[in-house]
Amino acid sequence: MSLSVPDLNFRVIAPALIVALTALIVLLAELVTPAPRKRWLGVLGLIGLLIAAGATVGLWGAPASAFGGMVVADNFGLFLTLVILLGAALSILLALDFVRAHRVDQGEYYVLVLFAVVGMILMATATDLIVIFLALELLSLPLYILAAFKRADARSLEAGLKYFLLGAFSSAFFLYGIAFIFGGTGTTNLMKIADALAKNPRNDLLLVGAGLLLVGFAFKVALVPFHWWTPDVYDGAPTAVTAFMSVGVKAAAFGAFFRAFLVALPAFAFDWRIVLAALAVLTMTLGNVAALLQSNVKRMLAYSSIAHAGYILIALVAMGASGLSSALFYLLAYTLTNLGAFGAVIALSDGERERLEIRDWGGAARQYPFIAAMFAIFMLSLAGFPPLAGFTGKFLIFSAAVETGWAWLAVIGVLNSLVSAYFYLRPIVQMYMSEPVPGWDRIRVAPLVALALVLALIGVIALGLYPTPAIVMATGGFLR
Amino acid sequence: MSTPLVLTYVGFFVMAAITLGGALMAVSARNLIRAALGLIIALIGIAGIYFVLEAEFVAVVQILVYVGAISILILFAVMLTRGLMKRDLPAQNAQWIAAAFISLAMFAALLYVALSTNWRAVETQVAGDLIPKLGTELMTTYLLPFEAVSLLLLAALVGAIVIARE
Repeated sequence: MSLSVPDLNFRVIAPALIVALTALIVLLAELVTPAPRKRWLGVLGLIGLLIAAGATVGLWGAPASAFGGMVVADNFGLFLTLVILLGAALSILLALDFVRAHRVDQGEYYVLVLFAVVGMILMATATDLIVIFLALELLSLPLYILAAFKRADARSLEAGLKYFLLGAFSSAFFLYGIAFIFGGTGTTNLMKIADALAKNPRNDLLLVGAGLLLVGFAFKVALVPFHWWTPDVYDGAPTAVTAFMSVGVKAAAFGAFFRAFLVALPAFAFDWRIVLAALAVLTMTLGNVAALLQSNVKRMLAYSSIAHAGYILIALVAMGASGLSSALFYLLAYTLTNLGAFGAVIALSDGERERLEIRDWGGAARQYPFIAAMFAIFMLSLAGFPPLAGFTGKFLIFSAAVETGWAWLAVIGVLNSLVSAYFYLRPIVQMYMSEPVPGWDRIRVAPLVALALVLALIGVIALGLYPTPAIVMATGGFLR
Repeated sequence: MSTPLVLTYVGFFVMAAITLGGALMAVSARNLIRAALGLIIALIGIAGIYFVLEAEFVAVVQILVYVGAISILILFAVMLTRGLMKRDLPAQNAQWIAAAFISLAMFAALLYVALSTNWRAVETQVAGDLIPKLGTELMTTYLLPFEAVSLLLLAALVGAIVIARE
């Protein structure tokens, strides 16, 4: 008996394959690495991520699908792959000293991060609901563990458990949705679902399936009202982990979200865009208003990430080429900026003691002018001030919405950005206008963290001043 | 109605009743061990439904994995957790009215869809031995998901060790 795999092409999944291989190498190398040298395992992981990024660039511009239409390497997926690899590399840079300061210096940290990256890349490039589901699990499972990685800290354990329980719950919704879609169309392949819909646009089974799928995605990207886990998990998890999951999961899950809705469902008789528009309004408004009330920096950034998911959802409502490219650009800008913001929290923490309360940041600009200035710039970028990356991203999304007749949604988005400026400016005011808080003046900023911050800063400013190349790259679109 | 069809219906309703009864016991029991036993009954009922649907292999796997392994694991976990065995735990909390409302709405929606859908009967019966075909499909059409699952299991293994070790 001969077995033949339909279009077996390992080149298409090369980035994910390389990262998976790196994870296995790091896992084996951990056995022979003595305790004080564990950080070299992180360096090994970084090298693997760089090689994977090289392979991703090598695939650029020649869309191909493989494994019988299970996975593709189109410019949409490759762009997200690069965003994910960039986010992972920067968060490993942030973690190298962080794990030592928090006494969780184990090689498994990097192994789990790399496993999660494999899941994220697969999720962003998958075109079959089965693969999307497995990729979702492959990215979630390591993150549950990473959230609980600091086992001496009850809050970290609580974050891991909470994330695990709610994540498992949302996975069940997701899977149930896939089952209904399969029942309605007889396939799990996104392109074939689109074909089935074109023949028969009214399909109640598919409607239920898509609704359940939406709930699953909404949990993962933290849309209101499926966001309850976010502040607790982001706050309780070790900060380096929070930084990683706040960007990586968003890029991967939004990738699959966009692909599922824009490839499979455009011919649907039911106009799902109005539902998404309502979710976007709720998510932006509630995220920003709740962030106003926070006194804890990590919780504030958690609500801010919820609000940003709302902005990105506007791009999905807008559909079309401009909506798609604006979302990709936004995810890139958000990745750099958010990693920078969490990175600054890590940079100015004193061993295990972190500046979690906003009042702890008082006078930081006088003691650590460079880090404080970078933190201020990241905050301004999150708020959407020109000429930073966050401004360009918001501009692209809102103009895509106006172009496609969703001007009212863009107006609500702009109003929300105005509200958000208040809480993003609060830590800046605190750093520059308040007296230094005693007990925070003997911090040695780790050079690698500073390096990560500078890299993110260069990206944020470059994307703001000269966004054209990134926008051109983001307009590749799907392979259908 | 022909006799085999009647038997199928009877089998389905018996198995569905067992599943629902077990599930009800699992969510309403105040004692965790009883709840776990209810879960086992529900899982056996689901295996029975697979049998009725002529998916014997899936049914056997269901019993092996869920009834045999996972339920035993749950029972062990309950028994090894101090103080969890004897105490009676409340099976509801303050949100049960809202939860019941949402569940009922969900049930109504699913019922409507199930009744309104024009279910297609499967015309072609897969001939021959099913298990080799399943294996072949896993290694060809579904090779990528298959490999993804293996990676997922490895990640779970590493994660379990990280969480559990002293």
